[in-house]
Amino acid sequence: MTATARTGARAATPATAARPPVVGPLLARVGFYVFALVVGAFFALPVLWLLTAPFDADPTLSVAVPSLTLSNFAAMFSNPYVGSSLRNSILLSLGTMLLVVTAAALCAYALSRVRIPGRDLLLYILLLFSSVVSGTAAMVPLFQLINQFGLINTHTGVMLVLAGGLLPAGIFILKDFMDSIPPSYEEFARVAGASPLQTLRDVVVPVARPGLAVVAVWTIVNVWGDFLIPFILLRSPDKAPAAVVMFNFYTEGGQANLRLISAYSFLYSIPVVVMYLFVNRRYGFRFYGGIKR
Amino acid sequence: MAEVTISALVKVFPNGARAADGLDLTIRDGEFFALLGPSGCGKTTLLRMLAGLETPTGGTITLGGQDVTRLPPGKRDLAMVFQDYALYPHMTVTDNIAYPLKVRKVAKDERHAKAREAAGSLQLEELMERRPGQLSGGQQQRVALARALAYPTELFLFDEPLSNLDARLRLEARTFLKRLQTDLGVTTVYVTHDQSEALALADRMAVMDAGRFRQVGAPLEVYQRPSSRFVASFIGSVPMNLLPATVADGGLRVGSNRVPVPAHAREHVAAGDEVVVGARPEYAELLAEPADDALAGTVAVVELLGTEYLVTVEDGDLSVQATAPEDPGIGSRAWVRLGERHTLLYRADDGELVDAPRAASARDQMVAAG
Repeated sequence: MTATARTGARAATPATAARPPVVGPLLARVGFYVFALVVGAFFALPVLWLLTAPFDADPTLSVAVPSLTLSNFAAMFSNPYVGSSLRNSILLSLGTMLLVVTAAALCAYALSRVRIPGRDLLLYILLLFSSVVSGTAAMVPLFQLINQFGLINTHTGVMLVLAGGLLPAGIFILKDFMDSIPPSYEEFARVAGASPLQTLRDVVVPVARPGLAVVAVWTIVNVWGDFLIPFILLRSPDKAPAAVVMFNFYTEGGQANLRLISAYSFLYSIPVVVMYLFVNRRYGFRFYGGIKR
Repeated sequence: MAEVTISALVKVFPNGARAADGLDLTIRDGEFFALLGPSGCGKTTLLRMLAGLETPTGGTITLGGQDVTRLPPGKRDLAMVFQDYALYPHMTVTDNIAYPLKVRKVAKDERHAKAREAAGSLQLEELMERRPGQLSGGQQQRVALARALAYPTELFLFDEPLSNLDARLRLEARTFLKRLQTDLGVTTVYVTHDQSEALALADRMAVMDAGRFRQVGAPLEVYQRPSSRFVASFIGSVPMNLLPATVADGGLRVGSNRVPVPAHAREHVAAGDEVVVGARPEYAELLAEPADDALAGTVAVVELLGTEYLVTVEDGDLSVQATAPEDPGIGSRAWVRLGERHTLLYRADDGELVDAPRAASARDQMVAAG
């Protein structure tokens, strides 16, 4: 603040009035840094809480220097649903990821190579509907659909619904990758005598691998964080994934059990951070989906 | 080895573009055949139809006597080199060259041996474990060639394989390609938009425009006697002089000058005919003194070509180029004698070469109009 005031005062004197182009940008820069600091602090607070509260003997909702302890983690692991919920989360994420990557790769390849009228319109409509399909608005029909299939309280049902919701966006991202593969790659394979499936396996999939990795990680992160669909479609607590189990951490008094919740949240966020680091290291975190080159 | 025949080949794209408009052609066994034309003339589409990557709308293609019109590309026994080389970025040079053999289910050791053999003839031995991204443009081009050589084929198809190389490398690759094809004797179809490449490489060539062949013949024939004004303007690294003229008093009036009618055309023109005089600057003579049958003007531009100069002489709207051993100096008076033996006449209306009575060319004209 003082810096701003001082430069402001200097700008008013006649000696420096001759060079206003220096003062203007300087003020703008200082203002920008102050603004960035405030915004940064706003977003950093929850993360700081997540780093301190699990190790605090008596965590509250404020960020404080913790009285260090690991007893929260001991308490968490004695909870019967912690192990199974993490296993369920992993199962659901990987299962949905396999479904989405396989189906999206085949769809995107076809959509990229076959000229059909209204192809782009179809893609945009799909993308529009995808936010509706797995969204709150469609919960009742989705529940009934899964009920009709007899898939209530099964992981298969949850995976199908999640995959259905993620596929359009996955196809959209992958189609862009497929579009960037020169058609001459496949044409050479055709002239050499390769079948379409051979071409897909030997040429298209290896070349599109960064795109497939992006869609895979994106799917896992999405499923990992999803609460509503497993919450509604799964009945028994031993099938619930991490996000749903956390919802049930209350003390005997009916208060949110912050000791358990903070420790569990810490554990729950590790896989996502690890995956971010992996993608960042492997691909430099260039999410190119949707960008025309 | 195989002879390629196409007859009445038609390709109409869904948007109505006619990329092939009733093409008939026989490419002889072992011949190096160049398809030349401006972009969009249909030359690449014709090549892709030969490869089987495009299905003709009508007509037939035979390869070595067998009708292959409806055969998928993989069953045609041909190798194709693409303009962008289509090397797979995730495979090493060895795997790239051996890929067609892998598709043909050749055992790994054998196909790697074949790949090394093909690479050896192209000086690629040192690069076998690299990936295409680590190679220079010239090396990539040779890998693409090696990939075409590694498996037995009846026909080579080249789609502008040299156009991504820089000028000097292109000349080296051209000489190399010509020697390779002569040694192997495999029938080759070569698509290019660069007339000098077609002239240098081909045994025979076709000049295409708007889905039709405008002229088919040996390079020298096409160079010396372009059959139409279109071909004349397309062939030659220095553009041909094309000067509007009128037939009058047994000669040609070009601007304010008078030049003789070439002997071969004398019987086929009458006084008052509008024609275009075609004369290559290489055959034209630059004179410092006034002479009969020469075009007078002022030297406007002088360009060094290496062994000689290309001189542009202007007289009003008329501009004519000639080569000269000496620099005449800009602004000096000069006279250009076109060289009657190599001068050609084109009709002003349809651009056809004047070398036969009008009646005979009327049929071609109808074909062209239809």
